Amino acid sequence: MLVMEGQFSFIADHPQLNCAAFFIGEPNEVISIEYNAVNIDCAGGDFIKMFDGWVLKGEKFPSSQDHPFPLYERYVDYCQTGSTRRVVRSSQNVAMIFFRIHGTGSGFTITVTKLINPFPCNVISQTPEGSFTMVIPQQHKNCSFSIIYPVEIQIGELSLGHLNDFPLKRSVSGCAGAGDFVELLGGNGVDTSKMFPVADLCYSFNGPAQMKIGCDNTVVRMVSSGKFINRITFQYRLLHHHELEKLKGNNVEDFCFME
Amino acid sequence: MLYWDNLLNGRQKGAPGVMGSGAPLTTRPTDRRTKTPAMKPLALLLLLATVLVSSRLRPSAARPRDSRVFDGHGFESRLDEVLLKAGDDALSHLIGAEVLRFLRDHPTFHRGLLRVPLGRAARVDDDDDDDDDGGHEDAEFAAGELVDVSKRHEDPPISIDLTFHLLRNMIEMARIESQKEQAELNRKYLEEVGK
Repeated sequence: MLVMEGQFSFIADHPQLNCAAFFIGEPNEVISIEYNAVNIDCAGGDFIKMFDGWVLKGEKFPSSQDHPFPLYERYVDYCQTGSTRRVVRSSQNVAMIFFRIHGTGSGFTITVTKLINPFPCNVISQTPEGSFTMVIPQQHKNCSFSIIYPVEIQIGELSLGHLNDFPLKRSVSGCAGAGDFVELLGGNGVDTSKMFPVADLCYSFNGPAQMKIGCDNTVVRMVSSGKFINRITFQYRLLHHHELEKLKGNNVEDFCFME
Repeated sequence: MLYWDNLLNGRQKGAPGVMGSGAPLTTRPTDRRTKTPAMKPLALLLLLATVLVSSRLRPSAARPRDSRVFDGHGFESRLDEVLLKAGDDALSHLIGAEVLRFLRDHPTFHRGLLRVPLGRAARVDDDDDDDDDGGHEDAEFAAGELVDVSKRHEDPPISIDLTFHLLRNMIEMARIESQKEQAELNRKYLEEVGK
């Protein structure tokens, strides 16, 4: 796992067949990976593949619904692209590389840098506590803020469906059919499309409003139609053990199955 | 007032009912009483013959010239549905049989198709109709595209089986290491500034 910038080398002292390196930055950063020196035997089955996001237990973050590129474009195989793509940039604050090296002494050197992303869309939080403001400025996309801890989320402000600061009235009751809304998700994987919706928010309000979600992964996901500027500000903190036990005891259904 | 709308509840409320769209071709009980015994099987036989004849034609071409032939027996409202469904079914069957035969002869395309998203698999270039070889070029283009897609999807998806517990620990250790590095850098900068 790498949080720092810099130049890193990996030289195999014995065959390394199933390896990966994870990169994570601050929420407002994206990861840039430059191949400086690569000494692997592609024909012999070695490979280095960069993935735009994280893959854990077969689940991807961001999900296919939330990522701007199709799945096959999110993998960049050095053995296929070679020198044509020496610098690869992620779309969010997380990225990873998979590599397989058979020969002793073979390896690679990469330079990892972080670039500022003014409008972060998909984020994995490094910490179980913090705060964040997500803004989708008139773009048709879905953005997820993932906290890989059971947390209490406190929403300070939600602004949906505003155009030039004029709040629009909702004629539909409930969130069904709303093109712009926020959903709180809970689950035990990183793929937001496979997580359970805990709550939907489709009306603007000034909070605070809090909710405790006792799942391994808690996500604040904003769906934006692209017609308006949508913004949500929230804080989150780690649930203590006794709070988790209480949540477990009070719930009839425990949709977050503990391993 | 804060409004919390549970998506699950919304799904339950909005669960659409299923309306039967393909009612069986049976006559109403009153029709049975008014018809002679030979009329019912004859009408069904005529309908079946119409369906069989229209199986390779466009449904509109198989529609009887005078739809009033079946008036009064409740068939008219079902005729279009039956013809369309029969035409679609027959055409689908013919296409499906051809596709299956092609896939059996070309197993690599089969593997590529399994990994191709539906949107991309369904996209076929529409050549001009006045091109005599348009159909052949269509097939070649589609085959070429399938080969490209299958190459992209040849490798199995890679994944690391990491639990959240390990992942959190790794992130925490990486952060501590980063903070140590930054603290060391800050110390060096201060030393330089102090000089």
